[in-house]
Amino acid sequence: MDNQPSVSEQEGHVASVVSSEVIISLKKVSKYFGDFQALNGIDLDVHTGERIVICGPSGSGKSTLIRCINRLEEHQEGDIEVTGVKLDENLKNVDKVRSEVGMVFQSFNLFPHLTVLQNCALSPHWVQKMAKSEAEKLAMEYLNRVHIPEQADKYPGQLSGGQQQRVAIARALAMQPKVMLFDEPTSALDPEMIKEVLDTMIELAESGMTMLVVTHEMGFADRVADRIIFMDEGQIVEQNVPQEFFNNPQNERTKLFLSQIL
Amino acid sequence: MNQAATSSIAVRSARWARENLFSSWINTILSIVCIVLIYNVVWGIFSWAILNGVWEAKDRRECFAILGKDENGIPILGACWAGVRVWFNNIMFGRYKDGQWRVILGFLILIIWLIPLWVPGVKRKFLIAAGAIGLYPFLAAYLFLGGERSWFMSFMVPLTIINLVYNTTDWVGDKVFRVSLADTLRWKLVDRIIPEKQHTYALMALFAVLAVIVGYLIRGWGLDHVASVRIGGFFLTLVISGFGITVGLPAGIILALGRRSRLPVIKALTVTFIEVFRSVPLITILFMATAMFPLFMPEGFELNKLTQVIPAVCLFSSCYMAEVVRSGLQAIPKGQYEAASSIGLGYWQSMGLVVMPQALKFMIPNIVGNFIGLFKDTTLVFIVGMFDILAMTRAMSNDVPWRGEFHEPFLLTAVIFFVCCFTMSRYSQRLERKLGGQYK
Repeated sequence: MDNQPSVSEQEGHVASVVSSEVIISLKKVSKYFGDFQALNGIDLDVHTGERIVICGPSGSGKSTLIRCINRLEEHQEGDIEVTGVKLDENLKNVDKVRSEVGMVFQSFNLFPHLTVLQNCALSPHWVQKMAKSEAEKLAMEYLNRVHIPEQADKYPGQLSGGQQQRVAIARALAMQPKVMLFDEPTSALDPEMIKEVLDTMIELAESGMTMLVVTHEMGFADRVADRIIFMDEGQIVEQNVPQEFFNNPQNERTKLFLSQIL
Repeated sequence: MNQAATSSIAVRSARWARENLFSSWINTILSIVCIVLIYNVVWGIFSWAILNGVWEAKDRRECFAILGKDENGIPILGACWAGVRVWFNNIMFGRYKDGQWRVILGFLILIIWLIPLWVPGVKRKFLIAAGAIGLYPFLAAYLFLGGERSWFMSFMVPLTIINLVYNTTDWVGDKVFRVSLADTLRWKLVDRIIPEKQHTYALMALFAVLAVIVGYLIRGWGLDHVASVRIGGFFLTLVISGFGITVGLPAGIILALGRRSRLPVIKALTVTFIEVFRSVPLITILFMATAMFPLFMPEGFELNKLTQVIPAVCLFSSCYMAEVVRSGLQAIPKGQYEAASSIGLGYWQSMGLVVMPQALKFMIPNIVGNFIGLFKDTTLVFIVGMFDILAMTRAMSNDVPWRGEFHEPFLLTAVIFFVCCFTMSRYSQRLERKLGGQYK
């Protein structure tokens, strides 16, 4: 696949400008859970502004891969660098990377004891040390961006799944991260709520955010991704631009996967 | 209309009785037996305690004389409250005779301090509670014990009073006049000079300066010294259990976090500590504290009993609390920790802002259950020779004029314990409902 910076010109495709600057780089990354090898020598460069969709059968290591990027999981071999900071035992580096990388989880993981606004203002206030009023103003801005400012004073438990996931996106954005990671953001949602979350993600893509998305939503991948990565058994089996990936898959496992999912 | 309503109540209660008490032959017999039993017990206690109660007498013999005998020559049973009246002061305060107003004032201050925690809609409850835990003990210690003030106490006592006055004016003003002192200070006055981030520090500095000034102004004024051995009765029970409760929870949280720590040394230390103190009865710990501890101390080094017993009780309660907190922490899903890390919160921040507030909610019933247990367990201190409420009660029964009088003082003690424990239990249920309702 062509790793050069490119301007996508597909029809209906969200326009993107991928810069040549590498923001995340993984070199020969391996990760073990006990004897089980979850990641097997992953090499991956992500450029600023690039949108990558990662797909693959369950247990193929997709979630583990993006969880290694903000060190929710520790990798044992290889190097991971995010915004030029190397992830290792140094906790300062880990904190630095985490403040640059936002993450959205499958099960939302909102803080149930805090209101929607407090959820979003937590990181600006306590991590970026903004004054409370400033932090809440910023949080409100991002709640506006995900179109639920009117829910600001409710508790997460009072919202629908789709609304909760949009709050989770706003919470991650409120850190003003350079990269956003999505770990199957729509898998825990009822079908009628998937669209509102995907729409929010598409808007985010339009704003030029660097995104890594683990998802089975192939429509979304087709519309947004600059590159689709197919993983199986802890390895990157195939990667390509959406059109090529869907119309002309090279690997047998990719073909099998696509025939099952489409 | 009105008559119809009354009759319908009568009809309804008759129906209720028929359905619930007399629905079958067996039920009817059981109901009648129970009613007779309850009547006998209640009437027996009522006539013993109230109808035949003797309130004025100089000793127990006189009580019997006043009660007299019935026509068959059998002594009439009646409570001799006169003894309890004479001993009431000792049961409440022990041998703390002079300056009991100081004790009462101390507890009044505590109640005033804690009232806002019950009032719905009061802001900054956490700070109020933290002040009560962190500052109040210094004021109380000085009030109860008095004596010469060290430079530290000369600072802490006024600081505590200033904090209380500030809290109280703030929440009362906010509730009654809709003017918050804190907000006025912050937004109207301080914000012009000091940026918002530093407001809390500015306020703390202001308090400290005021405390120094007030401490200097009242330097000539002081309270008489009272020896700590004089503290006894219900007062002692409250002091010991108060320490056990307020130290136990924060220390238990720290121990529980230590036990879950990934650092092996910290983990091993806390596990050993918790397991050792949890597998030893409180009595043993009390004996060790009072009998063995002084053996390890250099000669001439003497601690008074209170300062030996309080740490022992605190140790015991914090180890139990640690296990309660640990169970609460385990109820928090892993996703919460991950979400906290992913938005950049450090360990202490995620614990304090995300995990603990949720875990504490799960733990309320267990925490309060432990508090109640500890409150009752403190009566064990009589074994190391301290005169708490139970020891005072027994002492009364051994007092010459009232020798053998057990029922009355123990009934009083039972009522006092019941009121305290029942209040705690009701409060925890209220708290639970309130916090539980908040999320859904």
